[in-house]
Amino acid sequence: MNTKLKVSKVSKIYPGCIANDNVSLEFESGKIYALLGENGAGKSTLVKILSGVINPDEGQIFLNDKLLKLTSPKDAKNNNIGMVFQHFNLFETLSVFENLSIDSGENNDELRILVNNILKKYNFKIDLDVPILNLSAGQKQKVEIVRCLIRNPKVLIMDEPTSVLTEQETEDLFLSLKKFSKEGILIIYITHKLKEVLSLCDEVAVMRKGKVVSISKTLEENLSSLANKMIGESLNKIKKMSSNNLSEEQILRVSRLNFNSEDPYEVNLVDINFTLSKGECLGIAGISGNGQNELFQILSGETLSNNGSIMFRSKEISKLNPKERREYLMAFSPEDRISQAAVPSLKIYENVALNNFKTSNFFERGLFNERKIKDHSKKILSNFSVNTDNVNLRSQFLSGGNLQKLILGRELITSPELLICFNPTWGLDVGAINYIHQTLVKINEQGKSIILISTDNDELLQLSDRISVINKGKLSKIMSAEEVNPEKLGLLMGGGLVD
Amino acid sequence: MIKIERRDETSNLIYFLTPVLAIFLTLVTGAIIFYLLGFKPLEALKFFFITPISDLYGLSELLIKATPLCLIAIGLSFCFKSNNWNIGAEGQLTFGGIVGGGVALLFYNHEGFYVLPLIILAGAIGGMIFAMIPAILKIYFNTNEILVSLMLVYVSKLLLDYLVVGPWSNPEGFNFPETRQFSDSARLPILFEGLRIHAGIFIALVSVILAWVVLFKTYLGFQIKVSGLSLKTAKYAGFKGKTMILLVFMISGACAGLAGVGEITGPIGQLHRMISPEYGFTAIIVAFLGRLNPIGIVFASLIVALTYLGAETAQIFLQVPKYTGQVFQGMILFFLLASDFLLFFRIKFLGFKKYEY
Repeated sequence: MNTKLKVSKVSKIYPGCIANDNVSLEFESGKIYALLGENGAGKSTLVKILSGVINPDEGQIFLNDKLLKLTSPKDAKNNNIGMVFQHFNLFETLSVFENLSIDSGENNDELRILVNNILKKYNFKIDLDVPILNLSAGQKQKVEIVRCLIRNPKVLIMDEPTSVLTEQETEDLFLSLKKFSKEGILIIYITHKLKEVLSLCDEVAVMRKGKVVSISKTLEENLSSLANKMIGESLNKIKKMSSNNLSEEQILRVSRLNFNSEDPYEVNLVDINFTLSKGECLGIAGISGNGQNELFQILSGETLSNNGSIMFRSKEISKLNPKERREYLMAFSPEDRISQAAVPSLKIYENVALNNFKTSNFFERGLFNERKIKDHSKKILSNFSVNTDNVNLRSQFLSGGNLQKLILGRELITSPELLICFNPTWGLDVGAINYIHQTLVKINEQGKSIILISTDNDELLQLSDRISVINKGKLSKIMSAEEVNPEKLGLLMGGGLVD
Repeated sequence: MIKIERRDETSNLIYFLTPVLAIFLTLVTGAIIFYLLGFKPLEALKFFFITPISDLYGLSELLIKATPLCLIAIGLSFCFKSNNWNIGAEGQLTFGGIVGGGVALLFYNHEGFYVLPLIILAGAIGGMIFAMIPAILKIYFNTNEILVSLMLVYVSKLLLDYLVVGPWSNPEGFNFPETRQFSDSARLPILFEGLRIHAGIFIALVSVILAWVVLFKTYLGFQIKVSGLSLKTAKYAGFKGKTMILLVFMISGACAGLAGVGEITGPIGQLHRMISPEYGFTAIIVAFLGRLNPIGIVFASLIVALTYLGAETAQIFLQVPKYTGQVFQGMILFFLLASDFLLFFRIKFLGFKKYEY
């Protein structure tokens, strides 16, 4: 029984972004296929199209030369396409068996026999009658897989399955996947981890910016060739003039920073060490979900870290909250500008008041000094060329670029000594990106320091003096920007090593 | 054809009109229910909503009922605005009543100007402390404040039960489950002779003004507003989230405690089992009907208080159970939540044309 899945000229266009651009791929059972790409390369969109969650604007999907109409996840199930998402869709308080029986058509006795057979066959050790919340992440994933196997899938799609697994669980998973593949199930494995592609998959399709850029056999590839394909050759002509005369004056020192999260979807940070000089821009690259969020929150004070791990101008600040850190002249621009850096339903001047200093006198004796805040807001709007002068406008009516200018303006108008920003330009148009890059270069020239956490390598190579890569919560050695090239970055981001 | 569209911006007018719509729908449904029960709908509604307040005594009764509702709802608005779901105001009211009543009993044969302020203060502190339990459990053990505050209601009610039956029962009371009558110094002064309305109304009015100032003009109010809209932003701005949880619960508990002490030193004058006809729960409806806005809450408390009075009149004139009042309160909340749909969506009537994309 041979299964062939063919994706033919599929396109999906979102406002302002082409998620899938004329994607054509062919898969055949008996092999494990990798779909490799950075975040935003279009992998997830393609997977969602295959599982019927979203409809493509153009193109067709054929299963064994039969045209598939996938308008809902149900259609995918009925056509024997199984899907295991990165985040599990299980009811935590129900038992394993109850979870499995929810959407199966079989009666409970038959289902139990079927499930027990599957468990025995693949040597999965799961107690069917314990609640899901008692299971480890790896076991939960097995439940999801069993749920697919009940339906005799012809195609099994795994979306970044190892992001929550331990090493041992990952090995187990790979063994099972190889077994499924031998039994004739077509496996499509979505990932951005280069090593996994090489150790598990037979063929690899690389996606970049919505397009399939290469299809090849993994035997013909190695870490660096894949990294190159994934990242692409970047042109970093507009690179910032390297500041050779970096001052010796140390602004920030992070040493032996460790963070263990209780949340399995968060990344633990392991032994982070770096220093930052006055006027320097330190870039932190990495594929998203490797600890950038956690690192930003620890640097901004939303999450507190171990004692002595963060020193700002030789003052210990690891136990200070963001407001207290602002008093030391630090400023923060988080990744989520829409719902974290600002509240959409608040007016511009109210959003400005979020960055409140002792010296700014926004709240004299606890009272809201509206006039002062409004004057201050007007100054931000004009100094940072935000496209409005109405401080009473709700910030939800600002475009992404203008909102980001407002936020950066709010953070920078107090002339902080250190700005920590996380993906400051994602989703913005070229004009706004340019403006923000110029602003960042300018404050560097004024002797202010920047930590730029970003998933955009071009941006990092343009703006940073030194670059480090974060992978699985570990920071690579810090390299000066001159010795870094896209290939090296790609390798480090995929978990490889460079010397 | 009817088409439902998402609104780009929710208008302020609709924000305050939907409660009016909810009340209107409640009246219409109420009329239908009365009709089905075999009454003349308009007459029944008149007994329910107009007869009770057609004389001075009725108006005074309305204000007596509205006072605790308003006070508690004001306190609850601090919690609800900042995403803290204090459902246990009834328990905080009862505990405030217990503590205030305890002080009143201590001074049962004392006269003096200092007695009443002491009792009121004790009641507020009692409510406050009782509200701190769910807050502290939430802060340190991440418990769900809805469950904890709700369950504590029964704790305080049973405690009151025990006290009025046991240790605090009136020695000359023939074993009735009630305490001694408080001394005159322990009673809130009556405002007009012949009416029951008492000085507790001023406590409510002052709290309305204070709440308005705090919510709209202070840093604390700003922090509450931001935390309610986005906890992520509040964290990013560095607001002290834990302190704020504790603070809003304390404010809320103090208000409920004041309401409790206002009841026992006002119309009741002693402690017994039924010091509150579930004011603490009904105030949740008041808080939302008033859109968590102090001024709105004043109006809402009057309307909901009317359902209490109406139920009593209806019981007398129509021989329907007094629980009809709760039916009306339930309907108000139901229609309010339903009409909130209009805040985010608009309904377009397109006539009987064919759908065109």
